[in-house]
Amino acid sequence: MSAPLLEVADLTIGFRAYGTQRRILHGVSLTVGEGERVSLIGQSGSGKTVTMRTIIGTLPMPPGVVEGGAIRYDGRSLLDLSRQERNRLKGTGISIILQDPMLSFNPVLTVGRQMDDIVRFADIREGRTRPRAERRAHIVETLWKVQLPEGDRILGSYPMMLSGGMRQRVLIGMALLNKPRLLIADEPGTALDVTTQAEILALLNRLVAEEGLSLLLITHNLGVVREMADRVYVMEKGRIVEEGTRATVFANPVHPYTRRLMEAVPPLYGLGVRTVTNLRESRAPAIEADGAGKAFLTRGGWFNQVTGRFQAVNDVSLKIMPGDIFGIAGESGSGKTTLAKMMLGLIKPTSGILEVEGRAVSALAGTEEFRKLIQIVYQNPGSSLNPRRTVADQLAVPLKFTGHETAGIGRRIGELLEMVDLPADYANMYPHELSGGQKQRVAIARALSVRPRILVLDEPTSALDVLVQSTVIDLLHRLREELDLTYVFISHDLSLMRNFCNRVAVMLRGEVVEQGAVAEIFDAPRHPYTRALLSAIPVISEQEEALKPQVTKQERAAVLATSTALGGH
Amino acid sequence: MLPYLIRRALSLFFVLLGLAVLIFVIARIVPGDPARIALGPLATADQVAQLRAEMGLDEPFLVQLWTYLSGLAQGDLGKSLLTSRPVRDDIMAALPATLELVLFTVVLQIALSIPLGVLAAVYRNTWIDNVTRVISLIGVVTPGFVLAIMLQLLAAYYFGFFPVTGRIDPSLGFSADITGLLIVDGAIAGRWDVVGDALRHLMLPALALSAAGIGQVMRITRAAMIEVSSRDFIEASRAYGIPERVVTFRYMLRVASVAPLTILGLEFASLIGNAFIVEFVFSWPGIASYGVRTILQKDLNAVIGVVLVSGVFFVVANLVIDTILGLLDPRHRLRAKGGE
Repeated sequence: MSAPLLEVADLTIGFRAYGTQRRILHGVSLTVGEGERVSLIGQSGSGKTVTMRTIIGTLPMPPGVVEGGAIRYDGRSLLDLSRQERNRLKGTGISIILQDPMLSFNPVLTVGRQMDDIVRFADIREGRTRPRAERRAHIVETLWKVQLPEGDRILGSYPMMLSGGMRQRVLIGMALLNKPRLLIADEPGTALDVTTQAEILALLNRLVAEEGLSLLLITHNLGVVREMADRVYVMEKGRIVEEGTRATVFANPVHPYTRRLMEAVPPLYGLGVRTVTNLRESRAPAIEADGAGKAFLTRGGWFNQVTGRFQAVNDVSLKIMPGDIFGIAGESGSGKTTLAKMMLGLIKPTSGILEVEGRAVSALAGTEEFRKLIQIVYQNPGSSLNPRRTVADQLAVPLKFTGHETAGIGRRIGELLEMVDLPADYANMYPHELSGGQKQRVAIARALSVRPRILVLDEPTSALDVLVQSTVIDLLHRLREELDLTYVFISHDLSLMRNFCNRVAVMLRGEVVEQGAVAEIFDAPRHPYTRALLSAIPVISEQEEALKPQVTKQERAAVLATSTALGGH
Repeated sequence: MLPYLIRRALSLFFVLLGLAVLIFVIARIVPGDPARIALGPLATADQVAQLRAEMGLDEPFLVQLWTYLSGLAQGDLGKSLLTSRPVRDDIMAALPATLELVLFTVVLQIALSIPLGVLAAVYRNTWIDNVTRVISLIGVVTPGFVLAIMLQLLAAYYFGFFPVTGRIDPSLGFSADITGLLIVDGAIAGRWDVVGDALRHLMLPALALSAAGIGQVMRITRAAMIEVSSRDFIEASRAYGIPERVVTFRYMLRVASVAPLTILGLEFASLIGNAFIVEFVFSWPGIASYGVRTILQKDLNAVIGVVLVSGVFFVVANLVIDTILGLLDPRHRLRAKGGE
């Protein structure tokens, strides 16, 4: 084999802040061959993003400092190039796809303008001139490659007007505009729904094969890696701890860190699946919905009059029994969060009945009694905790508002911290001093402070790394048993649901299309949408792959047409 | 975009109507009989009663309001007690001077604050950033009238770089008859000496007036630029090879300019308030000088007129800013369409 297209050799990077220098990368070495798909796996803070930014040349220096090592691209040493020569490679030699397709666009310029800029400035650097029409033809052709045939319409749109899947495609198109040889993709598709993600991954794979690209994939999602990589590097705390072909690393992980990562991924099928049962004698349901629905009115026009109705939740009937962990699964826009807010009394249903412990939510909402009955844990503990208050202050707030005797608050805070496995002295810390998992533990403790019987968990682990996720999930299981809790678990992550819930409802466009015991739904899904969802989930072993429902292309296309027709709203 | 502007223009009409009613009510509530003040302490009760009848002050309040509003609809603002001329004529005579001063001030604010803010953001935490920080602090903390007097003393009186007061050197023998704006009319007439002289006269009052705004907008531009510079799409455009200069001005500044422009629109209100003092200091023959004199004389018709004109200024300025924001940021106008 000839020399690799990209070779990172012993790269050591430090960050200088307030006079001290901290080392972020410790001698990272990796190669990407011509036409090869290489994956760099790591949790947040492992240094994978710093590696990416150093390769592409957008790492700000200072504060970043190259302490040693080299990056060779196509036989040239990137770190020794002049600034101009380095800039010439951006987009034309090496290009990137960033994680979030919404945030990667300039919101105030049309897509066409942004794409034209990329082509035009590359032309200027190469000393070429092409008329505007020719550049446009080139852009439309590139959009064809990413399966966007209506190029003209897209070029005139602003990013906010496109759906998530379209944005991700346009973004890939943008990266390909100047025909790079190496594409670096940072968590491609992970910000999207699982069905859209599957399409994007397939598209990337095809492009790599057809255009002869090399791909460096940066991700924490092992399922994605299994579908997308020839070779794998595992990174931990700024060091490469394991490397090998995909087959060997997945079949036989050597480094303990890699093993822990693999074990932490909740399996969708197979022997490792954890089956959750509800042992409590079911009496009356904890939550019962009978034909519950919510319609939002859209307003507009000259007098802000009602111009339309949007049925966010439509005719939902379900029974959640005490002790259940009831999963509500669905993609973005499916109405799962609206349904949860209705259960919490934050949104009033416009039709049907919704009862908590046999009493109508509309009558209970806002009372102290209701607050002590049902509580919520939000998705992102970074934003659901007040950054300027200590942990103890945050835990005290719900206690004060529900009339807890003042003298006992301190003791209760101690109990709560112990309950979520945090040391007592964390009471005086501020949220920014805690890790993501610790913050989520504080959020859980806060929800539990008033001794609720029902907890609504809105994607409680989706902002966390997979290793942290498994510890939080274990904690939630333990708390449910100790405190006799009932959970309503909202998520788009079906693999996690398989291992966390005992019953599940699948939502599509405001309606529950299928519900039942977890084992039934996963082993024998009946609704085509559920089947398409399950088949799209990237899994990490051959056995699981074989056990997934087999969905034909036509079947999948039919369901996707109905689910994405709504666009990105 | 057009329906959006029409809607904004309609709401502008209602804002002004509300302002007219409010200020009329306030003017009638303040103690003191305008007829008595106009005639002086020596007039007899009969004379006062006669003038009251003439001015319509003996009518019921709602009738007075109606008379006033219907007059207003025809452009009639009533008569000034101070000058005995129609308020409209007085205002039209003084308006161009203020318009010229305020417009020049706004141009100065935009031309200085936004580039300095960008500079401070690009070179943040260097000496450039520190220098602009000090400039903006001085601008914000110095009251307009103090700055006006200091500039007048130093730059005009001691060093003689600029004229001390007034709008133009009378010896040039030029009168602005087309638009009333000396710079514009001078340029139309090809009298560049007039344009130069008018600019020299404008410089100090405009500087005194713009200082606070410049300081604020500069800091806000800097903060907005720094915030935008950490967004993903900036990293993406750099990685796609867009030159740094284009990234800064087209990609960052365009997104970042929303906050400073909004502040500039609001700043306009205080601009007119400050103009009252600055015009007074520089003997600027504008509407604010007129306003000060009429307020001191309780010349109610004139006061209402001046307040209405400054209301129009403010509302129009905000309409202009909203239009610019709509052009700059598609989210602004799409949201205004009502499609959340």
